[in-house]
Amino acid sequence: MLFLSGLGLLAPSAIAQDAPAAEPCDEEAAGEEGCPDAEDADADAEEADAEPPPPEYGYFTATLDNGLKVSVLSDPDHPIVSTQTWVQVGSAHEAASEAGFAHLFEHFMFGDTANYDKDVYSRHHTSNGGSENAYTAFDNTVYISEIPPEQHDYVLQLEADRLVNLVLDQENLDNEKKIVTEELRLRTENNPTGRLLITGLRGLFGEHPYGHSPAGTKEDIQGADLELARKFYEGYYRPANLHLVIVGPVNGPWTLERVAEYYGDLPAEHSAPPEVPSLQDWSFPERVDLQDDIPPVKLAANIYIAPAPGDADYWAMKLLGQMISSGSVDRFREELVVSRGKALDGFGTYVDQFQAGGILIFGSISLPTRSRRRALKLIDRTVETLDERIWLTEENLAVARRALLREELEGSYYAASQADDIGRAYAWMGDDALGVDGFAARYEAVTLKDIEDVWYRYVAEAQPVEFTVKKGKPE
Amino acid sequence: MIALVTWMSLSSLAPAAFADAPAANPRAPVSWEVVDIGRVVLVEDHRAPLVEVRLHFPVGAWSPWFRESGAEEAFTMQLFDPEGALRARVDALAADLNLSSDDFGSTLSFSCLKEDLPDGLELIQDVIYNRDYDLSELKRAKKGRQVEWEGQIKDPSFRLEQAGRELMFAEGDPRLNGYEEPAAVVTDGAKLSAVRNTLVRLPGRTVGFAGDLNRAEIDALIVGLLPPTEAAPEGLAPAFSPLKTERPALTQVPMPTLTQVYFALGRESLAWGSEDYPSMLIASHILGGHFYSRLYMSLRHDGGETYGAGVRYASGPEPGPYGLTTFTRVENMERTEEKLRAVLDTFHADGITQEELDDAVGNLLGERAFSQQAPGQVLDNWLWESARGLPAGWRESMAESASALELEAVNGFISDFYAPSKFVMIRVEPEVK
Repeated sequence: MLFLSGLGLLAPSAIAQDAPAAEPCDEEAAGEEGCPDAEDADADAEEADAEPPPPEYGYFTATLDNGLKVSVLSDPDHPIVSTQTWVQVGSAHEAASEAGFAHLFEHFMFGDTANYDKDVYSRHHTSNGGSENAYTAFDNTVYISEIPPEQHDYVLQLEADRLVNLVLDQENLDNEKKIVTEELRLRTENNPTGRLLITGLRGLFGEHPYGHSPAGTKEDIQGADLELARKFYEGYYRPANLHLVIVGPVNGPWTLERVAEYYGDLPAEHSAPPEVPSLQDWSFPERVDLQDDIPPVKLAANIYIAPAPGDADYWAMKLLGQMISSGSVDRFREELVVSRGKALDGFGTYVDQFQAGGILIFGSISLPTRSRRRALKLIDRTVETLDERIWLTEENLAVARRALLREELEGSYYAASQADDIGRAYAWMGDDALGVDGFAARYEAVTLKDIEDVWYRYVAEAQPVEFTVKKGKPE
Repeated sequence: MIALVTWMSLSSLAPAAFADAPAANPRAPVSWEVVDIGRVVLVEDHRAPLVEVRLHFPVGAWSPWFRESGAEEAFTMQLFDPEGALRARVDALAADLNLSSDDFGSTLSFSCLKEDLPDGLELIQDVIYNRDYDLSELKRAKKGRQVEWEGQIKDPSFRLEQAGRELMFAEGDPRLNGYEEPAAVVTDGAKLSAVRNTLVRLPGRTVGFAGDLNRAEIDALIVGLLPPTEAAPEGLAPAFSPLKTERPALTQVPMPTLTQVYFALGRESLAWGSEDYPSMLIASHILGGHFYSRLYMSLRHDGGETYGAGVRYASGPEPGPYGLTTFTRVENMERTEEKLRAVLDTFHADGITQEELDDAVGNLLGERAFSQQAPGQVLDNWLWESARGLPAGWRESMAESASALELEAVNGFISDFYAPSKFVMIRVEPEVK
């Protein structure tokens, strides 16, 4: 693209391994070579927002020579464009001494680039009613933009720019360390639920990469340095590790061409994130007992290791979870709480947010006087009742399929939800089209026998981790 | 450049969704009166075979009658019969049914596949006629409400807002609702049934539909859906007290084991009817409404004092709370408070620039598209305005009014509203033993 090359935005030398980090464009440098002033930036935006050709709708996908996977779902009924950049690196790919760095680096990505002050990206969104954000999970980091279609092209330009021209300097790192540390204090130190998440993950997963939260620890955040930042940026944040997903009223082929122009010169060299061990092959503790400053109740749960989203058993497990624990009647709660009156509340839930495995939880909330042993025994008995499999009928299976279909259809109204489906389907199942087509065909192929099999394999014949939390001084 | 391009034909993906869709989805709401029912509103959208239903009743937690009669549990627990038969019917339809109340109303929300709508409406009828409350669930709800309250008061952000509201609103004022220890859940099933019967017979109720249906279908389905209306009881309308005017310059809320201090520079907001309301929208956005707002620039980007800072406010028929908020590590309290106050001082003294005004207007106008994505969103926006006695499209009209404001007018408002002397400081901070 002419105006891009004219600004030198995608010049390969700028991202050479040993190239010194460029200075950010401040007010004094504005207008100098490589540093557009405010008027230049406005001109970029205007040119980038030049009228695209008439829309052409459908699903279009491409993989650039440098490895960037691109998915464009053009849908005229969305009033906004959702753009998600899925980076296939998350907290589970951090080394033991790097806890929290994937998250810290996510903050970094909103900083100055060699060509734009750090506020340009954000202001472009907010001044047009849009929003920009990001989150760091265990297996991925996802950057999210939502904006009216007229302003979308400039977003692509800025997204591509920050993948190659980000300024990694000590001042920025030091400031982000302070900010992330305040976030940790807010979400964990001063929040009992957040604290429990940290200690719970550590207790359950131990030394597995899921054993530390994406938030990290204050100590590890303080130890982060620019060398680590470069390892992430120049190793992981490269096209081969990225999936760019665009959903909205854009012209599909035209958008793909723009992506190719903006992202095509990004370097192909990259580092592959380390493998995350499968939860099925991991050794878990027999019990985890925690205490924290929670309200006066006792939490207890049996935690079973379940299939990951990419496993062959995933679809059957998803339906099993729906049949047992979703909707207005949670069968586990109904048996434990309503029929037996043995707890204040109860729940069953299938957590499928980990790429290397899922977990199925049957839990209860009781009065604090209930003993640990008794609370867990009651859960065991309730699971034994579910093992009679009265719930396992064709009628219930059909209802579960329809409920999941309804949820999918509700999500289809939102560009962001569709972008999330496509990104997740590709990251976790290697099949982006599945996120477009929907999952109904997969659910339709599951039989009662499949569900019975996963029940036996992952619950009835499995040994759960016993997990409890009582009120007490935080650990 | 492109190594592999897969062009997937549109028709193989979702033919109905694209090929037959009207130009604009969802369509604008249309409403009409139906005898023995009340107002009916429809948001058509034929992209997916889904339907959403809302029964909205015009009484909520700000009503004295609602709070004193146990109407919250009467309304929200009517789905729970002792046998669980109603909930089982919801699941058999692969549907979703929620009962909730807010400050201004009580709403039954139902969503299902279109083919299940007739059965769904029968189910809805049975829910609002259910007289057999599950007493065991009510007792669990009673305990649950206590546990929830004990969890809330351990949250420093909740305590900050609670302290701010207590400074401005007198005991018993509806604006303290949710920030005072809640009353015990009523567990008398007969009483709850009577209260619910009163609630669903109130004049002013609305039935909303959104999704894949049209007015003719609604007119055929809605007959006899609701019982006839009856006269409203006494004490239905919120009773607002005058604002407290004696406010200490500093209020400290001690909490054990905190490692941060939470701040609010607070005062009362403007009511919806204020002619300055659009100016407040603009000023709040610039001061603390986005990632590069004045507060964010000073407190996060310049020095890393905090992770978050912003303007938080609530408005209503009467003013609500308005605060500039942030938080920081304990040892950084003085520096952060100084910077927070300095942002307010500068904002008050210098006002905003034309560029900031343009950006804020762009934000208000641009963000309207975000609430137009799903038919249920459009319906809920319509009900939100209707429940508050605001004309349809009021929120959009506020954005348009704001877009017409001159810089001088906004700065005139700022020089009055943001006078530092009108704000008081509230701090939630570690308990000193």
